[in-house]
Amino acid sequence: MAKESFDKEIQFLRLLALTSGAYNRQQFAKRLGISVHTFDKTLRRLKDIVQTVNHPNELSAAAGRELAEHLQFQYYESADPVLLFLFRAKSLKESESHRLSQLVAALQTQELTAKELLEQCCSDLPPELIPPDEKTIRSDLKYLEDVGVICKAAGGRPYRYGLDRSIVTRLTDEEQLDLYDYVEVMANTQVPSVQGYLLRESLKKALKPLDGKHPDWQETLWYKYHYHSRILDEAHLPVVLHAIDSCRRLKFMYFSPKSSLSYSSQNTNPLFEKETKGYSDTMLPLKVVYDHQYGRWYLVGFHRQRGLLKLRMEGLTQIEGDTQVEAAYFKEKQDLLAEKMKHSWLIDTGEPVRVIVKFYPPAGAGSGSNFIKDRVLLQGQWGCITEEHAGYFIYEIIVNGITEIRPWLRSFGSSCEVLEPQILRRQMIEEWKELKACYEPVRENL
Amino acid sequence: MNLFEKIFNYQLHSRLDESGAYTITSHERSWLKAMLEHSAADDAFDSGTLEKLRGLLAGEADSHLFRYVEEKAGSIPKRIYHPLLRTLRRMIMNRQGVRVSYQLRNGEQWENRQGFPYKLEYSMVKREWYLIWYPFRERSLMMTKLAHIRAVEEISMPPDKAKHMIQHIADMLLQRKQRAVIEVIPAYNAELSRILYAFSCFEKEVAYNDSTNTYRIALAFPGHEAEFVLSKIRFLGLRVRVAEGDYFKHRMLEAATKALARYGDESV
Repeated sequence: MAKESFDKEIQFLRLLALTSGAYNRQQFAKRLGISVHTFDKTLRRLKDIVQTVNHPNELSAAAGRELAEHLQFQYYESADPVLLFLFRAKSLKESESHRLSQLVAALQTQELTAKELLEQCCSDLPPELIPPDEKTIRSDLKYLEDVGVICKAAGGRPYRYGLDRSIVTRLTDEEQLDLYDYVEVMANTQVPSVQGYLLRESLKKALKPLDGKHPDWQETLWYKYHYHSRILDEAHLPVVLHAIDSCRRLKFMYFSPKSSLSYSSQNTNPLFEKETKGYSDTMLPLKVVYDHQYGRWYLVGFHRQRGLLKLRMEGLTQIEGDTQVEAAYFKEKQDLLAEKMKHSWLIDTGEPVRVIVKFYPPAGAGSGSNFIKDRVLLQGQWGCITEEHAGYFIYEIIVNGITEIRPWLRSFGSSCEVLEPQILRRQMIEEWKELKACYEPVRENL
Repeated sequence: MNLFEKIFNYQLHSRLDESGAYTITSHERSWLKAMLEHSAADDAFDSGTLEKLRGLLAGEADSHLFRYVEEKAGSIPKRIYHPLLRTLRRMIMNRQGVRVSYQLRNGEQWENRQGFPYKLEYSMVKREWYLIWYPFRERSLMMTKLAHIRAVEEISMPPDKAKHMIQHIADMLLQRKQRAVIEVIPAYNAELSRILYAFSCFEKEVAYNDSTNTYRIALAFPGHEAEFVLSKIRFLGLRVRVAEGDYFKHRMLEAATKALARYGDESV
């Protein structure tokens, strides 16, 4: 069977999450480069997953809701990553899903041998399913052992298997709650985080006994300004990081996020083949960058013709490992990247420029609270405050190009005046002029 | 390693749920092992627990997830796990009241204020934990930085009163919600993805007008976040304009006028 790809689901969910139901079916399908029929099929499949994953109690309420509505980011429910269900999309045969769940359930309370498990599986099987043979059970056990869900107990043959959940079962109730909180806080504040969110879900089940006594035990911590769609791109990380780790090039099909099409169906029938706007390419991956300003991921690598190349992770589809390169060659390119990105505000590898900015503290603020300065110190990366006076302070930074830092400076509004370089100063003036013109008619209405 | 594992499959997941079973894979354990190396772990566990967990994970493979990932343009990470988190989270879970001693923004000290703790909130931008609580004397909702709290003490609260408080606070938060509509300037539609990403940290609805090829983003946010919303609008510059929300329009005009004044004659 061909390797199952989730590119379509990822692009689908991204578009749905970002545009929050702005498009109708036709518009949506067109932007994804798929047919309306495929759109409907994909939507049905994703809805099915969401509804199955949701707690049975919530099922009836959620069943009638539109998927877009479900995905709509609720500010005050931000601890649950709404898009996590993507990672539950791997298909599984009905019979296999039955068997695996039986095996795990049987091992809940005791350690068992393959033979004992076979007996239990056969006796608990719904009549419409064919009973598994020992070979099948052994291969299931091997799978469960490979993913670390079960482990062999001490002692020789025949092996007894048990669930590997010691990180929970060896803890006291209080310690389990501490673990749950820690996993939740780290999954919500660190990247990559999908594994953490999955672990959080496992722990939720482990701590279920708390539900009765403390109905809102899971609802104590909130996180604000989260970019929820960031976890979609984490789907690519395993293959990308594995390639970096093994000095391997990557093959992929890239759709620039600026093009109106963000995915294209891989039709096997050439008669239906559409002209795609993406292009296939190969590069040596060197690093993954997460941008906190937008919650987006970049893949930075070395391309044989184009040199250092930065691609938005969301534009990458059909990623596959390719040829391996010499470790020395890889190291040389990594060093080159490290040197070039030393002064990147984000990923710009252009010429370094010294930017000097005058910041004005908020009018009327006492000496105790200067949120402008706090923000500059918090977000100004490696830049420094070089002078401090009563009414202003000077901030300096050497940064590659002025494009990436400009939005940040502009976000300070009138609390910021660019002194150098002149070109950035001019640009800021022009932008403020245009913005003023844009809002000028407002004055009359106020 | 693959994030799309059979064991995570949704049907299997729901079957396991029915039988009250759960599983933990080595992916999850490797991630946790890496996380326990973080200094935040010292604030999150008693030292005995931390040692126990590290011991249990010692045989797990090291995760290479973090080795090649670099975070850029974020706020400097401060203390991620505040030591009071554990105490306060339990008070909230137990629906108990709290007595708080803390420092106000202007430096003034408040001692033993009684109130009801509602939630703990972490801001990814300010990298601070806040206690959202309702002091009984002031009768208004407060967001107090955990960093400013010196001491907390649990006070008992009858379940009925706690239930009433929770509802009351939820209503107050709902009432504080504000709305603004941002329009994407059609000339920048090619940058739509960037713009939508920038607003994806808010509760929002997007409307698309096919005939004018215009996108409008309706944002909903708590009133005290207006400054943050404004900074996002300024961040995006000419790509967007405020279509609805007089306060925001006014503030944008004010920012542009004052900014130009800073540049003096050059801006004429």
